[in-house]
Amino acid sequence: MTAPLLELRNLAGGYPPVAVFRNVNLTVAVTESVGLFGPNGQGKTTLLKTVAGTLDPWEGDVRVDGERLNAEGRMRSRTSRHLNYDLFRKRRIRARDVVRSGVIYVMQGNLLFPEMTVKEVIEIAPAASVGRSGIAAMRDMVDELFPRLGERWHSRIRYLSGGERQMVSIAVGLLALPRLLILDEPTLGLSPKLRVELSAAIAGIRTMGMALLIVDQNIEFLTGLIDRLYLFDHGTVDREIGSGRMPSRQEIMAMMFEARH
Amino acid sequence: MSADTFFFVGASGLILGGLYALMATGLAVVWTTLGVFNFAHGAFLALGAYVAWQVSDGSGGPATFLLAACVSAAVLFCLGYVSHFALVKPFERKKNMVLLSVITTLAAAAIIENAILLIWGPRDKQVPAAVEGSFELFGSALRYQDILALVTALAALVVLATFLRRTATGRSMRAVAQNREAAELMGLRTSHLFALTIGISTAMAALAGVFIGSLRFMNPSFGADPLMKSLIVVILGGVARFTSPIAAAFVVGLAEAFSTFFLGLYWSPAVLFGMMIAVLVVKPEGLFSRRTKTL
Repeated sequence: MTAPLLELRNLAGGYPPVAVFRNVNLTVAVTESVGLFGPNGQGKTTLLKTVAGTLDPWEGDVRVDGERLNAEGRMRSRTSRHLNYDLFRKRRIRARDVVRSGVIYVMQGNLLFPEMTVKEVIEIAPAASVGRSGIAAMRDMVDELFPRLGERWHSRIRYLSGGERQMVSIAVGLLALPRLLILDEPTLGLSPKLRVELSAAIAGIRTMGMALLIVDQNIEFLTGLIDRLYLFDHGTVDREIGSGRMPSRQEIMAMMFEARH
Repeated sequence: MSADTFFFVGASGLILGGLYALMATGLAVVWTTLGVFNFAHGAFLALGAYVAWQVSDGSGGPATFLLAACVSAAVLFCLGYVSHFALVKPFERKKNMVLLSVITTLAAAAIIENAILLIWGPRDKQVPAAVEGSFELFGSALRYQDILALVTALAALVVLATFLRRTATGRSMRAVAQNREAAELMGLRTSHLFALTIGISTAMAALAGVFIGSLRFMNPSFGADPLMKSLIVVILGGVARFTSPIAAAFVVGLAEAFSTFFLGLYWSPAVLFGMMIAVLVVKPEGLFSRRTKTL
């Protein structure tokens, strides 16, 4: 059996000294689309930031293709009034390694680079990770997925609406030619019309054979786009719903809340 | 006051403004990108001038001057690049990073100044000019070297602006400045880009230093005065746009020239700091900025 594209093993993390999530086990297979659903403030974004390498994991592993991206062992939390431990402490995971392994994280409510135009951002995006080859083809793809962006090509990101910003963020992620695209709350603050547009675009990305990990509060939006669903609650993944039949909103709510209360 | 004097004082103000613009832009670029005020900027300027003095070895002329300026800019670029890893990076994850970087850059300034004192000694020196002599314009004598300084400063600023707007590296530098986390998630090499920013800023300081060293006399601590003026420039103009410190630099240069002429050398700092305080009270984001830049 081949190793899954992304595998989290007993991952724990947070903002020291506050532990936010623990014992997270999650896999995403190649070309699979996986959803993560859970209430606000339970640590989904913190988990994704840890996977993306901007936060250090405390414990457990982040593996891509079976290869561990983080440093081995647990994080030691030492502080001192006299010494700057940051001088000696290395990052346990590096965002650049994660990007290089083909996992791209699209931030939630991302402002990106407010003073740059859409054109400038789209142009540096591929240069950052894959070099200059095949940019034209990727540009066409972006035009096809998000026709709206063509009209705003020369506007600064600051002047774009929330939905347009979200599209730029996803386009920037796509231009890095990822194998797994992690979308954090793509529908946050979007109008229903834009949500439909975005949903179509994400469905389009899915048909390209790219693996997806989508986090969203909107369960109808989510279930239409995924093969498998993880429920995230109280800082850990506590249920996995297989590929058979996607439950309805009521069923999920019942699963998440009635078991406990 | 006759038109001739007005023109002469105005011209010297413009030349000062050009050099301040070169320095203040370097400071502003580092400030907007790293959120660090580089107090070692003046020391880097002095070091740049001394390196150029060493390279030109007492002989003037365009070729020697060009070589000296280029070597000085290159050496200071490398030093600036390295100084990111020595002065800023070890503390970037600390909460009080701004205060720590004030201390580290001040320490660097002291170290560089004393290194200059050890290597080249305390005696006043002057970088030999590229072109000697002067010419007459509207009844006032202008030195060729002055004009060269102004033109080079403006050319360097145009080159930097083009670099930041058009090239992939320049755009990546702006991206890192505007949203560090998003840049990291895009796979940009943030440390490298930060170091590059400081390197470019110190190279510009070196260029300013070479010209100031050729127009005036230099000693190991002569960077302190331009640093102070660029601080005034950055506060006066704000940093929201690339051009705002440049415009402010010319305002400060002209204000300095005219206040020196009318009120005397001892009063010109008072005038400049008075202007700075007035701006801070009335329009804290700077004269030429519509809003404060969020860092």
